[in-house]
Parts: sequence; structure tokens; C-alpha cells
Amino acid sequence: MALDRDRLMQLLDRAHTGPVCEQFEWDTRVIPGTIAKNLKKYDLLKTCDPKNPINQDDDLADRFFQAGMDTAVEAGLLCIDTQRRIQYNREEIKAGLEAAPSEFTLGEGKEVATFKYRDVEDPTLPVWISPLSIAMTEDLFIPMVEGIARVPEVDVLEGPSVETLWGSTIRAGSPYELLVGRWQAEANHEALRRAGREGMGMFATGTSPTQYGVLGGYGLPGGFKPERDIVLVLSPVEMKTSYENLLKLSQAYNCDGTVYAGSWSMIGGYAGGPEGATVSCIACTLLMYTGYQASNGASFPFDMRYMGNCGRDALWALGTVFQALSRNTHLCVNSVLNQTAGPATEMLLYESAVGMMNLAVSGATSCTGTRSAGGKYTNYLSPLEIKFAGEVFKQCAGMTRAQANEVANKLLPLYEAQLGHPPKGQSFAECYDVETLTPTDEWQAIYDKVKDEVIKAGMPLR
Amino acid sequence: MSKQDVLAELHEALIGVAGYDEVEEIARGLVAEGTDVLAAIDVATAAMDEIGEKFAAFEVFLPDLMIAGEKMTRCMAILQPYIQATSDAKASARVVLGTVSGDLHDIGKNLVATMLTVAGFEVSDLGVNVPPLEFIKAAREHKADILALSSLMTNSLPYQKEVIDLLTEMGQRERYYVIVGGGPVTPEFARQIGADGWAENAAQAAGLCRQLIESGNTPPVTTVIA
Repeated sequence: MALDRDRLMQLLDRAHTGPVCEQFEWDTRVIPGTIAKNLKKYDLLKTCDPKNPINQDDDLADRFFQAGMDTAVEAGLLCIDTQRRIQYNREEIKAGLEAAPSEFTLGEGKEVATFKYRDVEDPTLPVWISPLSIAMTEDLFIPMVEGIARVPEVDVLEGPSVETLWGSTIRAGSPYELLVGRWQAEANHEALRRAGREGMGMFATGTSPTQYGVLGGYGLPGGFKPERDIVLVLSPVEMKTSYENLLKLSQAYNCDGTVYAGSWSMIGGYAGGPEGATVSCIACTLLMYTGYQASNGASFPFDMRYMGNCGRDALWALGTVFQALSRNTHLCVNSVLNQTAGPATEMLLYESAVGMMNLAVSGATSCTGTRSAGGKYTNYLSPLEIKFAGEVFKQCAGMTRAQANEVANKLLPLYEAQLGHPPKGQSFAECYDVETLTPTDEWQAIYDKVKDEVIKAGMPLR
Repeated sequence: MSKQDVLAELHEALIGVAGYDEVEEIARGLVAEGTDVLAAIDVATAAMDEIGEKFAAFEVFLPDLMIAGEKMTRCMAILQPYIQATSDAKASARVVLGTVSGDLHDIGKNLVATMLTVAGFEVSDLGVNVPPLEFIKAAREHKADILALSSLMTNSLPYQKEVIDLLTEMGQRERYYVIVGGGPVTPEFARQIGADGWAENAAQAAGLCRQLIESGNTPPVTTVIA
């Protein structure tokens, strides 16, 4: 969906004229105070149920949506560059949600991926976006993207990110990022050509966290194409925006492009426990679709204790956020799944299995991943875990939440004790032949074993 | 009100719902009444330990910790001059911290700032997206002992190295311990860029800083992993 000029200008103007609020006040009073008030108002305190990590209570999800809506109206977004609050009233938010598409496409030709609103327990196939922006060395970037593009379950390309540009270290917020905007688009095109998947939609720009990757790559010759690729806008936590975000939106407007809006809430952070993070994620999502005119995206929960979202509290919060959004809007919402274990480990696949199944039954239109090894190590990513996660995501569409909850409770004991100290696993070059782009026998055997296990646990994989 | 009552009131104000003004008022009252300032600091430190433990158990969350940390900072600003005037106690070590250039993430940085404050360090928080030279200027201005550099983005990691390289080029490397942390920062990376320390989380960062200060070694030191 191309951006409406008046709405964009309204956002920019409010970022410069809204009520002043210092960040410390925002983080310690406005956010926790507003969320706590609405948790109490809708009787949501202590509702997280770790024994049932996949929520099945529709009324609970709906009350969380109301609490999220109230929080969005009462708090708004904080622009950290102007220290002003961008506020929308309830009618404006409802109009913003109404204007968001319930269906749109990325990519072109035979690689068009259709994003459609999905209901809870919906059999409609979701869209698998891979991978997250995990750092790769320059020599392995194209082989990795080619390997990922060869995975048939992958519909759209987001990452990975590249560490160096023509041998020089890429520094955030510097001219290197402007250059890498176009470099990444060209490298992706080359990898997609090698994989026979030219036309696949892409995110601009995985390597660059600041605006420069978008300014240097989106809508330029050889770069990302606005008619088929999407601008990645990631908001600072909690419920904040920045000039970086606003510049990306402005470039998307200039190019008639579309916008993905993402953010997250940390369980244990500014919003509090899992219930608070759930409210924050819903509120932030509503504000991003309203303010950023997003076509895809959402805010998702993350657990501060292990920096992932495949443990019980985070799974519960994640499922509840997406059920609340799915049941009360027609948005094409996207989540990110944050695994902690690395490639060539059973744990990475078990985390993926439970997390992707949760999203499949909770109404997510799409998901971005994997964050192998928590995204901490250069080259710790491989196409096989991406294939596995995509298979789970698509083949679990249509399961009931009760079935999924039962499976989750069988699989969680296989990895949850290790969430604080996950195995690092193996790098791409260790678990793959990077010439033929095939996994080692050891990694393939782990994949086969875990797939058997999850099928035995009740997951409908083929 | 007895001395014990006043100290109990300070403890409650630091971890409870009292506002910043109320904490400052109690601290000023303690000083005016001639209460043993070191005893007051012991009480305040115990209160901070208590809230740190509650955070570790997820009984309270980041905003509660940040508010308690701010109260502690304000309380210490009133008590500190009297410690130096009335005892030979060593002044607390100073830490300048921030998230490096190109990176707007602040949760981890705020958590470390709070845990360091709670642990008794004097903390100057430069915020996010801080250019390398600003760290060095601030370290000089605040007479820092430690520079703490946070980064969550892979492409902002090079700026952690640039701070260390700049210190070396400016002949100031031996003046400050440099510690690094954040999602993609590994102990291997810390060693590789010549940092003095790395810690896995905020609580360990406080222990790491204490360890560095107590070592008395001149930086750069062999990387300490907390």
C-alpha cells in the first residue's frame, strides 16, 4: 500500500508539535503506568498461564486487544529525537486500521507472494520471510542467500546482513551503509538468479539498521524495487519512533513503496511481565499501522531472561498478541521468532517447531526468521533450519490451538531448561558444503530425527 | 523519630512509592540531624540490593529498577559530600556509559546503568547513538574510571573498537578501563578489539566493574570475562 501524503505529514507534524515528554518519564512513568492501569481495568493481571503456553481463551485475547487499544490512545508514540508524543485518538486509530490492506503482494512473476489476513486456526497458508539480519562474511553472503532461496518454503527475502563492503568494515549510520543499500540489493538479485528465483520480494535493507540502507538502496537503479520490495522500519522500544524511522517512511513515500513496521516488547522491561508486554505489543502495532501506514509487521514479545521468545511466558504472550490482533482487525500481521540455539543443534529445531506452530494457529499472516544462535555470531545460520521452520509454519496452518498446546507441552521439556545457556552449534561452513549448498550428514540426521520426534508429538508434518 | 526509624523511612522511600522529592527530603533531614551518613549509605545500599534481587526474581521490572536507581543517585548526591568531609572513605568509581553510534537500543544500557548505580558507582549515561569521540570527551570531563560501551546491532559493533583505537591513538588508553556488552558482543569479540572486560548481563557488569577497579591494574588489562 503506497503511503498517503496527508497522513504522513500528520505524523511528521505531530512528531514536532505533540506534548513534550522526556524519555526517562516515558520509560518509567507513562508506559508502565498506562499499561498497569489498563491491565487492571480489563482484569488481565496474572493471566499468563505457562502450563498452557498457547492461549485458547478468546475472551482473554479480546480483553487484551481492548487494553492495547486504550494504551495506544492514552500513550501514543514517543519521538526520541524531538522528545514529543505523537498521539492519535480512537477514531483516528480505527480509521488507520481500516485503511490498512487485508491482502497485498510482494515479488513479481512466478515469485509473487500474497500476504492475506489470517484468522485464528486459519488453514490459509502463511508467508515465510527469511532470514533475519544475521551477520555474514562477504564471501559467504551470496552462497547463503542462494541456499535460502533454494528452500521452496521461503517466500520473501529479508536478511542476512553483510559484515564488510568490498573488504571494509560497515559502520552503522555512515556512508558505508548508503553504499551497502544498493550492494545488498544487487547481491540478493545475483543469489536469486543463481537459485532460479528471480522476482522474489525483498526487504530493504537488512544490513542497515539506520535510514541510510534504505536511502541508498530503495528505488534506485539496481537497488530494491518499490513495486515489489518493502521498506523495513523498526521502531525503538518501548512504543517509540525516531528520525531514522521517519526518514525511511519519507523515502517509501517518495518511491511509492510499501512499509513493514516492526518493534518488540521485552518481558521484564518497560512494560513489565508477560501481560504488560502483551498489551504493549498490541498498542504499538495499532500505532504503527496508523502512523506508519504499514502493510505488514507488528510488535512482538521477547523474554529478557534469555533474549528469545520460545519459552513458556513468551510463547503465551506471543500467541495472545497475535490472536488479539487477528480477532479484532483485518491486518496482515507479522511476527519474528527468536530462537537461541545455533545451527546443527536439536534445540534450534525444537524452538522453531513450537514457536512457528504457535504463530500458525494464532493468526499470524507471516513470520520472519530464523534468528539462529540468537543472531549473536557471524555466519551462524544455515538454510536447513530455515526449511524446517517454514515447513512447520505452513503445515501447522489449520491446527487448533488446543492441539498445538498439547504438542507444545510435549516438546517444551526437550529444550526449555537450556534457554539460558543454549548451544552455539556450528557455522555455515561447518554444517554445510558451501559449494554444493548441501548440509553435512550430521546436520541432516539431526533434522531427520527432530522431524520424526515432532511428528510423533502430534505435529502434522509431511 | 528515632535514628532507626529515619533510616527505615529512607529504606522504604528508596524501594517504595515515594517520589524523588521525598527521598531528597529524607536525605537532607538525615544530614541536618547529624545522622551517621555512612550508616545511611549502608541502608540505601541494602535497599538497592533488595530491589536488585526482586528484579532478578521478576517481582519488579525495569522501570521500578530505574526509578530506584534515580532515587539512589539523588540521595547520594546529598550524602556524598558529607562522606568525604567526615571520613576517609574512598570516593565511588565513575563510569561513563552509552550505546555507540548508529544504534538506538537502550534497554540493556539502561539496565547496566541502573545496576551500576545500585552497586554504588557514579554513572554518567550519555544515551544512545553516541559517537566515539563523545565517549572520550565525557570520560575526561567526568574523570571516569571506566567506559562502558553498549551495542545491539552488528553494524554498530565497529564503533566499540573505534573508541578503544581512538583512546590508543590519543595516548589515553591507560586512563580508562573499557568494557563492552550487548546482544552480538561476545567474549571473543571483546578480546579481539582489546577491551578490558565483557559481561553477559547487567548484574555481572557491576561485578566486572568492581573487579577491574579493585585490581588496581593499569589499563589495558587482559580481558576479564564476568
